[in-house]
This record gives sequence, C-alpha cells and structure tokens, in this order.
Amino acid sequence: MNPFGTFVQLVVDALAQGSLYAALALAIVLVNQATGLVNFAQGGMAVLGSYIGMTIGGLFIPLVGSTAGILIGIIGAVAASLLLGAFVERFVMRRFERAEEDTKVVATIGVLTLIVGLVGLIWGFNSIPYPFFFTSSESIRIGDVSVSVWSIVTFLTIIALMGVLQLLFRGTKMGLGLRAVADNSPSAALSGIRVGGMRMVGWGLAAALGTIAAILLASKSGLAPNNFDGILVYALAAVVIGGLDSPIGAVVAALGITVLESLAAAYIPWIGHDLKVVVPFVLIFVVLIVRPQGLFGRKAVVRV
Amino acid sequence: MSGFFALTSNRWFRLGAFGVLLVVLGVLPLVANEFTNQTVSHIAVIAVAILGLNIVMGYTGQVSLGHSFFVGIGAYCAIIPIQAWWGGPLAEGAIVIGFVLSILIPGLLGLLIALVAVRLRGLALAMITIALPTIALPLAQKFSDFTGGNEGISIRRLDYVGADGQIYKGNPFAAGPGLDNDQWQYYLIISIALVFFALAYFLVRGKYGRAFAIVKSNEAIASSMGISPYRYKVLAFTIAGVYGGASGFLLIVWGQYTSSETLAFHHSIEYVIASIVGGAGSIIGAVFGGVFYILVDQVMNGLQLAKYSAVVQGGVILVILFLLPGGLVSLPRAIRRLVRRRRGGHTVEAGRPADSASVNTKQ
Repeated sequence: MNPFGTFVQLVVDALAQGSLYAALALAIVLVNQATGLVNFAQGGMAVLGSYIGMTIGGLFIPLVGSTAGILIGIIGAVAASLLLGAFVERFVMRRFERAEEDTKVVATIGVLTLIVGLVGLIWGFNSIPYPFFFTSSESIRIGDVSVSVWSIVTFLTIIALMGVLQLLFRGTKMGLGLRAVADNSPSAALSGIRVGGMRMVGWGLAAALGTIAAILLASKSGLAPNNFDGILVYALAAVVIGGLDSPIGAVVAALGITVLESLAAAYIPWIGHDLKVVVPFVLIFVVLIVRPQGLFGRKAVVRV
Repeated sequence: MSGFFALTSNRWFRLGAFGVLLVVLGVLPLVANEFTNQTVSHIAVIAVAILGLNIVMGYTGQVSLGHSFFVGIGAYCAIIPIQAWWGGPLAEGAIVIGFVLSILIPGLLGLLIALVAVRLRGLALAMITIALPTIALPLAQKFSDFTGGNEGISIRRLDYVGADGQIYKGNPFAAGPGLDNDQWQYYLIISIALVFFALAYFLVRGKYGRAFAIVKSNEAIASSMGISPYRYKVLAFTIAGVYGGASGFLLIVWGQYTSSETLAFHHSIEYVIASIVGGAGSIIGAVFGGVFYILVDQVMNGLQLAKYSAVVQGGVILVILFLLPGGLVSLPRAIRRLVRRRRGGHTVEAGRPADSASVNTKQ
C-alpha cells in the first residue's frame, strides 16, 4: 500500500478509537455539568450496559433473527443504562450531595469497584464475543485505501449521537432545564425546575452514551469487565486537556490525542506500539503547564 | 460506659496502651507461627503505603488514584540495586542504597508530578494520578531488562560472589543465627514502619498538619493566612510519594520479589478503599486500613471466594461512606455519640465542628 493510503487508514482508525474516548469524555462532562463531580464509574457503568445488551440480544436473536435481535439488545441496553444512571444518581450520589469533593470521588470509585465486581460475578471475568451486525475484520476499499467498516460505523454513530445530544440540549425544554441546573441549580430550583429529576436525566443520558460506546468497542474486541479501564484513562485525559466544562473541547481533545498518539506510534520509531500510551500524558502535562483550565475550559472564578 | 470513654481519652492511659502495644509487637514473632508473622508484617507494609495516602487524602483533601505507582517504583528502586550489588564489595550497603533510593526517587517523582498536577483545582490530581499506573505499567513491561517485565525480579535466591571468588546463592533478607527468616523480616519491617508512623504523627500534629487542615477545609482562607495551598498540596503529595516508596522497599523485605503487577491501577483503588475504610483522616486509621486490605484478601482467598472480593470491597466502601464517613477508626466516637443521644443528653459534641464546617466551606 502506498504511504498515503497507510496514513489515511491510520487516521480513520484513530478517529474511530478516539470517538469511543470522546463518547466517554462527553459522558463525564455531562455528569460534571449536571452534578459537579467527575464520575470515575462512567466506564464501569458503560460496560455493565453493554453486558445487558449482549444478554438481551442473546435472548432475542433465536426468536426474531440476528439483525432484529441485536437491535433489540442495543435498545434494551440503552434503556437499562438510562435507568442505571438515574438510579446511581438518586440512591448513591444524591446522599453525597453535600459531602466534600474527595468523598464524592471515592464514592464513584466504590460504585466502579462494585459494578465491575458484579459484572465479573454474573458474566465471568474472561473476554466473550459480542454478536454484532458485522465482524471487525470487514473492510471496504475506497480507491487504493482500505478502511475497516467498524471504524467508519463507530465514528459516524458517535458523531450522530453527539448531534442528537446537542439538539436535545439546545432545542428542547428538557435541555433548557438541564442547562439551567448545570449553570445554577439554586436559581433553577427557584424557577420551578425539578433539580433532582434533571440530575437523574443527566446521569441517565451520560450512562446511555457510554453504553453505546461500550457496545461499539465490544463488537470489535469482545466483552470483558475491565474493558473500559484504559478508555476511562484516555477519556479523563481528554477531559483534562479539553476542559471539564467544555463538551466540544472534550470531544476535540479525545480525537486529537488519539490521532496524535497513533501517528506518533507509526512514524516516530522509538515510541512504537509499546510507548504510545505515554503520548497523551505528555500532552496533559504540557497543557496543564500552559493552560491549567484546559484548552477550551473557562477559568474558574471562585467567590469567597 | 462514659467512664470507659473517659479512660480512653486519658493521656497516660493512651501512653500505657501504646507501651503495651509495643511489647506485644516485640514479643509476638517469638511466640507466633510463621504465617502470623508474615501476615502482621504484610499489614505493616500496606499500612505504610496507606499512611502516605492518608496524609495527602485524609489530611490535605486531595485524592490520589495513582498510589500503586509510588509503591511499585519504590519496590523497583529497592530491588534493582540489591540485585546488582548485594554480596559484592558493597555487601549489606546495597540494601541501604536500595532503601535510600526507594524513598528518594518516588519522593522526587511525586514532587515533579504534583508541581504540575496541583496547578489545576479540584479533581485534577485525581484525574492526573489515575494516569500514573496506566503509563508506568507498559513502561515497566517494555524495559524488561531492568524490571523483569511481567515475571518480575526475585532475590530470594540471589547469585553473589563470595570472598573466595566462588558464586553462592543467598537471600539478602535471610536472618542471622538465632532468628528465623520470618522473625528477622518482621522486626525489620515493624521497626521501619514504626519510624514512619512516628514521623507522620509528629508531622500532622505540628505546623504542617494545621496547614494541611486549613488547605483542605478552605483554600481561600489558607491563602489569606499566608499559607500557600499550592505549596502544601505539593508537599503532601511528595510525602505520599515517599511513603509509597518506603512501602515498596518494605514489600521487598517482606517478599523479596516484585513485578510490574505491583504498579497496576487496581492496587491504587484498593489502597484508596482501605484508606477510607480504616479512616483517612487518622494515623491509626492506616493500620486499620492495612488490616482490612490484607484480611479481605486472605479471608476471601481462604473461603475460595476470591471472585467476590471486588463486590465486597465496593460494597464495604459505600456502606462506610454512608454510615461511618470517618472510617473504622471513628467507630468508638460514633458509638459514644449514639450512647449519649440515647441518654437524651447533649447531641452536639464539643470540639467537633467538622459537620457544619464541611457544609459551609465548600459552597
């Protein structure tokens, strides 16, 4: 293959992988906007959602055929994770509403440990395949560039979801409520918005978004309880680089670091596949030194 | 009941109890079996790591999710010089070098990381530190010439050149005459751990402890008092690195082995959970945390329930956060409050403004 073809393939694959990071990063920003905390359990909740999708899909595939069965599985997973997100917010995190920041972080770590442990107990700790519309090895050729179907579908799905979320936030009354709660929850409460309900919606949406990303990942590399541990780290890196209060920043940063990382791995010989994980974190350190609030973040002004 | 509580807060009673504890710790390895000695030593190793986490998390209010990084680096810094030089011209000096390096290098790394990470407010440290084990693990696997990769380095039967030029096998932490290996390792670990606990005790009771507390409760007030939150957060994180590294050294004394697995992220989570369960804002809490860490492991493995241990840890941490946010170490205080409330006396305790303060300062 010519050098240009390799380059395009690298970038497309990186964008696909990066869109998974972007989805999780966006979920983290959503939760942060709704409740002002960073949910370290976001990846764990997404993995639980994808297992639920696999189980529901597995039940329906013999009844209605594989395509419809897979689709029902995905819908079931999204519904379940909407509920799961709302449940975790209402019955776990709500109790820590007034706690200190570090307590909240530890609480989400507790949720993560509990969920990953439960997933392991129910479905086992080994990797299992996820039944999907196509296999991860299928690819299409455009000119003399060959691109995997998975990469294209993943990238487009995540981008479409982000568009839907943007519409939801900008164009609906519920979105207005969500933004009001994120901006100033006491004022939102005074103007008759149910703050608690909005927070549950925010958590649910974030969980659903994460679950779709987890299903897309699982369709390529199978399901395992710790599937999202590595991805969570990248998502957090993207959030730090892009800014905790900037959805667009998080997405751009996630795509940017993945592309940079895979190009560095391919074209800088001493980095290679083993050391590419270092690239995003070098970026983090540079960004933190130059712009501590993140590339797209607003500088926090603290009222005393 | 109240007589009992009055007794526990008496200074002389506490000193006496500490003396008794020292005697028990000193006599225990002579009468207990090997398994008990190793368990108690292992608890001490983990307790030192958790103590470092308590200083940065419980006292200064910064969450570190990368503590296993410092423990793992400390373990490498201890084992690599010992493997290279022990038994040669440096003899036992190699162990001293290992000890010094295992404190210096993680401390230095902690300092460098904190200088950058603490620049961001709030949760930055948590989000940055989560990256440390994630980067260090593949690095350790890549540079396997140094680190032994996944197989790790064992110095249980280390080759060394004797005075007569012959090659012998030996264990740098084998006991001299009169003691068994487990007893010697126990004494070494417990004495080093006690020194680190004493240092932490005096640190948090002095000027630094008060500075940490004010940085934790309100950074703006800290600044207005001339206490730089940045500087003290960096200091706390550096100390956490030193304690993690020291724990890594003790891990080598305990097992004479380390591998890249010591760095793994899930250990960081286990340290955090153990720290909170024991009581993050307390020195003794680190001991309870160590006991929790080791016992959960041993009980679950003993009952063939290892696969439940993540669920148990996650469940326990949430229950503790709900019911006993101060950790196990605050159990007596919680019981005392309950007893007092039942008697219908004062429900507000003098000297405990923490509940109201923590609500006000964060808004």
